[in-house]
Formats: sequence, C-alpha cells, structure tokens
Amino acid sequence: MPDPAPDLPEAASRRFASGAFTSGLTVPDFAACLQMGLEPVGYVQGFCVMQWGWYGINSPYRRGLTPYGGGQGGYMESWQCPHGFVSAEHRSWGQNYQQSWVENAWGQGFGSAYSRMLEEAVALGAHGVVGVVDTSNRLGDLGVLEFHVRGTAVKVDDAPGPPGGQPWTTYLAGQRLAKLIEAGYMPVSVAAAVSSVRVWAYCMTEYLLEGTNSSWGVAQAGAEITQVASAQMAARQIAREHVRSQMAGDSLHGAEMVVSDRELGQGDQEIQCVLRGNRVRRFKDFDPMPVPHPTVRLS
Amino acid sequence: MTDTPEILPEGLPEATSHRLAELEHGLFTSDLSVNEFLLIKEVGFHPLGFVMGSSIYHTGIQTRKWGQSQELTKLTEAMYNARELAMTRMEEEAAELGADGVVGVRLDVNYYEWGKDAAEFIAVGTAVKAESGVSHRNKLGKPFTSDLSGQDFWTLMQTGYIPQGLVMGTCVYHIAHRGLGQTLGSAGQNIELPNFTQALYEARELAMTRMQDEADQLGASGIVGVRLEEKSHQWGSHTIEFLSLGTAVVKTSGEVTLPTPTTIISLDN
Amino acid sequence: MSIGNRLGSPAGEPIDIKAEMRRAVDSLQSQTHTKDSMTSDLSIDEELNLHSIGWEPVELVCGVSLFSVPMGVWNWGQGEITWASAAYAHAFEGAIARIHRECAKAGGHGVVGVQVERSIHRHHIDVTLLGTAVRPVGAKRVQADQVFVSDLSARDFTLLQVSGWQPLGLAVGASFVYAPRRSIGMAMQQKSQNVELTNFTEAMYAARESAMERMQASALSMAGTGVVEVKVTEGPMDFARHAVGFAAWGTVVRLAGDTHRTLQPSMVVPLDDPSAAFEATALRGK
Repeated sequence: MPDPAPDLPEAASRRFASGAFTSGLTVPDFAACLQMGLEPVGYVQGFCVMQWGWYGINSPYRRGLTPYGGGQGGYMESWQCPHGFVSAEHRSWGQNYQQSWVENAWGQGFGSAYSRMLEEAVALGAHGVVGVVDTSNRLGDLGVLEFHVRGTAVKVDDAPGPPGGQPWTTYLAGQRLAKLIEAGYMPVSVAAAVSSVRVWAYCMTEYLLEGTNSSWGVAQAGAEITQVASAQMAARQIAREHVRSQMAGDSLHGAEMVVSDRELGQGDQEIQCVLRGNRVRRFKDFDPMPVPHPTVRLS
Repeated sequence: MTDTPEILPEGLPEATSHRLAELEHGLFTSDLSVNEFLLIKEVGFHPLGFVMGSSIYHTGIQTRKWGQSQELTKLTEAMYNARELAMTRMEEEAAELGADGVVGVRLDVNYYEWGKDAAEFIAVGTAVKAESGVSHRNKLGKPFTSDLSGQDFWTLMQTGYIPQGLVMGTCVYHIAHRGLGQTLGSAGQNIELPNFTQALYEARELAMTRMQDEADQLGASGIVGVRLEEKSHQWGSHTIEFLSLGTAVVKTSGEVTLPTPTTIISLDN
Repeated sequence: MSIGNRLGSPAGEPIDIKAEMRRAVDSLQSQTHTKDSMTSDLSIDEELNLHSIGWEPVELVCGVSLFSVPMGVWNWGQGEITWASAAYAHAFEGAIARIHRECAKAGGHGVVGVQVERSIHRHHIDVTLLGTAVRPVGAKRVQADQVFVSDLSARDFTLLQVSGWQPLGLAVGASFVYAPRRSIGMAMQQKSQNVELTNFTEAMYAARESAMERMQASALSMAGTGVVEVKVTEGPMDFARHAVGFAAWGTVVRLAGDTHRTLQPSMVVPLDDPSAAFEATALRGK
C-alpha cells in the first residue's frame, strides 16, 4: 500500500490504510468489473464548497444585478423596444448575456472536487475511477453550493500506470462499460460544464410573458417570445461549446443535459444548463456487429 | 358514410368524419409501440387508425347506511351503459374504417372537478385489418375488440385462436355498515366477517357471470387475459365496483403455427 | 430485442473482454485522436443498434420555442379555445424549425430519441426538444428541410429501418376546450338519474377528435403513410381547471421501398424467474 498523500483528510488516510475496499458498485456491476479485469480498490470522493448567492459586495452575483454585466466577451444579444417614449419605467431596452463568472465558479467548484477525488484514487494506486456520481447541492440558506464527486477506484490487472499519473474516469460502470469497450471506445474522463444566461426582459417580452399585451382588453394575437427562446437556445449552445473545448478531439458519449430556470420577476430570468457526459476515445477501427436478431419473450 | 346509431342525438362530431375520411384514404395512425406494430405486421395485419369512443355519464348516488349488503342495480347499469357507449362508439369508428378488429383497447375513467358526480369513460385502441382481405370480423359481423397488446395478439394468432371481443361484466355492490353492537362484540378477535365474505363473493361472481354471458353471446370458445378490478370511484369505501374484463376468443379452422420456443437465460437484472 | 452479453465479432467468435480492456487502457498512452468527434446522449445499446445498420450519432441538438397566449383566453367561454390551440401549434413549429437547423448544421440526416417537453402556462406555451442527430456513416450533409425529427428511440429507429420504413418527422395536434356549463335546472333534474351527459360528452369528444385530426393533417402534409407510437395526453390546466387540453403526437413514417420486410422473430422463454410462488397478478385486481 503506497503512502497516502500528506494533504488528504486524516479520516481518508485511516480509511485507506485498512486493507478491505469499499465500493459504490452494485453486485452486477461489481461482477462485470471483475470480468473485465478491473479490480476495485476503494471508494473515492472529493468535495468543494463555493460561495454562491447574492451576499457580499464582492460576490460575483452582484454583478448580475445590473444590465451592464455583459460585454465581457461571450454571448450577448440586445433588444430594442418598438414603441416611442412611453414613460420612465417603460423597459425600452433589454439584453441576454452569458454570465461567465457563474460558469467559471461552477467549473472551479466541480474541478476542485474532481481533482480531490483523483488524489484519493492516486493514493490507492488506482488506474481509473468508474461509476462516478457528481452532485451539487445548495446548503440551506447559507448561500453556498457544495460539489461532491465520488466513484469506485479500480486497478487494471497487469497494466502500467495511467499516463501522467492521472486516472481515467467515467460515469459508466458494469455492463454498460463493458459494452463501451467492446464497441471500441475507451473512456478518458468525465466531462461536465455549465452555462448561465441572464435575461433582462425588454417591454415586449415582459408584456408577452404576463399576458398584458392587449390594448383596452382586446387580446392581440399571440407571438413568439423570441428573447427567451433565444436565451434558452444560447444556454444549451454554450454548454455544448464548453464541453467540446474539454474534448480535445475526443467524443462525448452518453450525455445528459439538465436545464433549469429561475424567475426573477418582471419577465427577468436566469437560465442554467448543465451538460455532463463521458469523454471517450476510439481505440480500434469501426467494426459494427450485425443487426441483432429480434425475439419475443414468453414470460 | 354509414349511419351512426341514435346514441348521441346529434351524431358523432364533425371532426370525427373528417378524421376517419383521412384514414380511409390511406393514412394510418396507431398508438402501438414499434414492437407491437411490427408484430401485427408479422401475422398479416395492418393498422388502419387510432379509434376512440367516449361518454360522460352521471354516476352519483345518495350514500346511505343501508343495513343490508346489496347490489346497487341502478349504478351497475350506469357503469355498464357508460362503458358500452364508449366501446360502441369506438367500434363504430372502426367499422367506418372497414377494420377487422381493434387491438390494444384501453378503458379509462376520468374525473373532472367541474363535473360533480360525473365521470368520463373512454375507450381507445388501434383498428387493424388483415392484409389478405379475408374478413376476420366476429360472429356478429362487427370488428372484434380486444385489450391484448401487440405481443399477445401475435402469440394468440400463432395458437390458432382469434379474438372475438372484449367482454366485461360489472357489479356495483354496497357493503353494509356493521351495527355498533356487532363491532364492539368482535373487537380484538381474529374471526371471519360473514357479511363481508358473502358480499364480496357474490359481487365478484355476478361480475364474472355477466362477463361470461357476453362471451357466450359472441359464440366464444373461451376467455383469455381475465382481469378483476375493484374501484370505489367517488362513492366512499363501502360501495365498490367490481369489473371483470377479458378477451373472448374462438378457434379458427387454420393450422397452429406455434414455433418451438428457445429457452434462454438472460443475464441482466 | 435481446443482444446478449457477448456481442461477438462479425465472424462469431466471443470477445476476450480482459484483453480488450488492456488494449483500451494502453491506447491512452499514445495521443491518437479521430478526426470527427461526436457528442451524443444515446446509450451504448442504442449506439450499437445504429452501428449495425450503418448509421452513427453526430451531435446533441435541441430546439426551443415559447409562444404567448393573450390575457383573458382562459376565462370561461364556449367551445374551442382557439388562441391556445394556435399557440401550441406555433410553439411546436418554432421548436421543430430550430432543431432542424441545428441538425443540418451538424451534418446529421435526422434526429432520434427526441425528448419532447411541453409546458402550458397561463400566458405562454413552451416546447423543448432534445435529441441526437444521426447520419449514415460518412454521408454528406443535407438541407435543413430534408432532415427528419422523431421521438422514436434509436432502437425503434433501427427496427423500422430494417423492416423498410423511414421516419419523416413529428406530427403534432392539439385542441383546447372549455367545459360546457350546465344550467341549474338541468343540474337539478339529473341529480338522481344515471344518464349520459350529452353536452359534456360532445364537447370532450369533439376536442379529442380535433386534436387527432390536426395530427393527421400534419402527417399528410409531410406525405407520410402512417403515424406510429401516437401518444395522447389530456387533462385540465393547472391554472384554469375548467379548461381541458388534448394533445396527440407521434412519428410520421413512410415505406422506403415497395413492401414491408418481415423480421421473423424467434420466440424465447427466459428461464430466470426466481419467485417460488405462482402469482396471477392480473386476478388480484386493483
């Protein structure tokens, strides 16, 4: 057993010092791993807590309070109102923009938790980590976001260590991983990125969302709420671009996209898109199996 | 366009005629999954269209604490008629399309908050027709109905039996409230409650017998896939509807083409 | 469809998975990359199905649109709520147009496994589509209007291709209706009778048929022969319980050649039932 790295929490060192392994794998996944020649060596995890919220003068979110936060490169679109001067409160101008500080902070939180998990894996002498699960939870009202990344560290029988000492990682485990290998793909790492788009609604968007786009009670025909549709498309586009930039020519397999939006009143909203997947690389030529034979089960 | 029977005074809605006309001109719709679609084709049938029938029926009762367990015949009739109306309209649509039968029939009951004491009974399914052109309609000359899935339909056809119709029997039974004296007397003991036993036995038997009668009318050899459902709908727990559903089948003169199945052991969960 | 646990090479020999794993891990030592990298949300099973018919995933694509519903639309009225039906149709059109563009831009010939999410709010109807663009391996690009979109899984797409059918697009139809009012006199009269409520029946029936009819019209406009896996949803609006919406959608298909090709599936009896007791669950009732 190699000496654990000195900056791991003490509890982790104690856990690794005992000979038996723990693993987050289910029994079928465990069996499949052994079949593939992967020996589970331990359950590894990493945490990172980031400040996340409206508090503090230096909080990154403070910049999100005014419509002048955009213009730092990245996505931005402006919308001009079609009416003449109406009143001082009339929102004659609106903007969608990318909140890159939120994206960077998320990336930092995820990245730190991920590297800490890899440190634990390296301490165990592992080659890779399978069955990775990552979550980000807001802790109550404290205005913090906790990133937690964990998985099962494995050693490949009779294989040399991973290049550069970095274990390969994947969300997959068990049969799905086996099928991935048989199909000719090798997992390189998990990939995750977030995009955050802020919508500052202009008058038309606000009216359409609140249904007040009518003159004297006579309903106008409906219309597409282009500003929000644009922002939604952009959020997804940006998340894909972020993940692609992590691929370096490899492919993304088994991706999952989760989009949430937070309404901030008066038609304003914030859209967050999280995209996760497995970065994989082809290691043998494309060699498809023949069309599978269909069966009907009598059960 | 065939005449619709005088169920709805005004006839089926206009939208229905348009929709069925499109289906008659060659477009098919089906709510079968791709698996089921392919299996139907395997046994020489082709889907014609999604067919439906519905009826909103008043189903309320004035709940009273009757001393005796008894069938609430008016309510039984209501539940039966409502479903019959829905099924008949669905069959009308299928007949309009020239179908041999309807597979994958689903009977649903919907409640809406604005319709107090009322429920909507819906029957939906996919109308199918034999590609050979040979009629597979049932003994009464009407399209057969069945709640068999595409897989079950395929398997049944391999055995040399063919569906005749979805048969159902229903019975709405009220279970008497036990008197206070009786309740106190038997508290804490593990005894049979003869009231309940008798009531539930009788109710289920009634439902199944009625279902059997329907199958006899169709000249069926037997009923497959029998299901017993028990629901209290909106009446409180002492009034229960027992619904018995199944598909009546009849043996065709054709040969049995059932292939020998291969046994496998699948290694997934 | 069962694939089995050993995929086997085309020649039929079982694969030594340990050796494959070693080979895969060793490949990380060298930095070779393929030219075309893809992103996909398909599972490995789905990807293998696609590969077996010579198709491959290209890119994760999406389409989103929101269409507004003017104020006062949901107030109680009579008959169909035409504003809402129109808004629903427009929202879908917008989303489908955007996913078509993304697919064509990525070089895909169609999108499979589309997740369709619709949400109906008081003042707007939102439609979100997310799927993976696919194409025959090595095929050239096509125009946005030649692309197909389908909510069929990649596996179902494979089955249909093998039997000779091709998907054309998503057919969508919806209809919103007000629940008819009952006059007080009629209401009193019907309290003790068990009768059909013909007003209500007509209204609901007509709306359901209308939704299906619009879906069919949409399919015909794509020159399709049929619509498979039709999904029908219905229910009152959360924010206006007297308004009921009916929606139907499915994948439009057409025979690629002259006839349907049968698959001739084999019947299997899996011998892995571990339960000791016989249980006819259907007879238990609900």
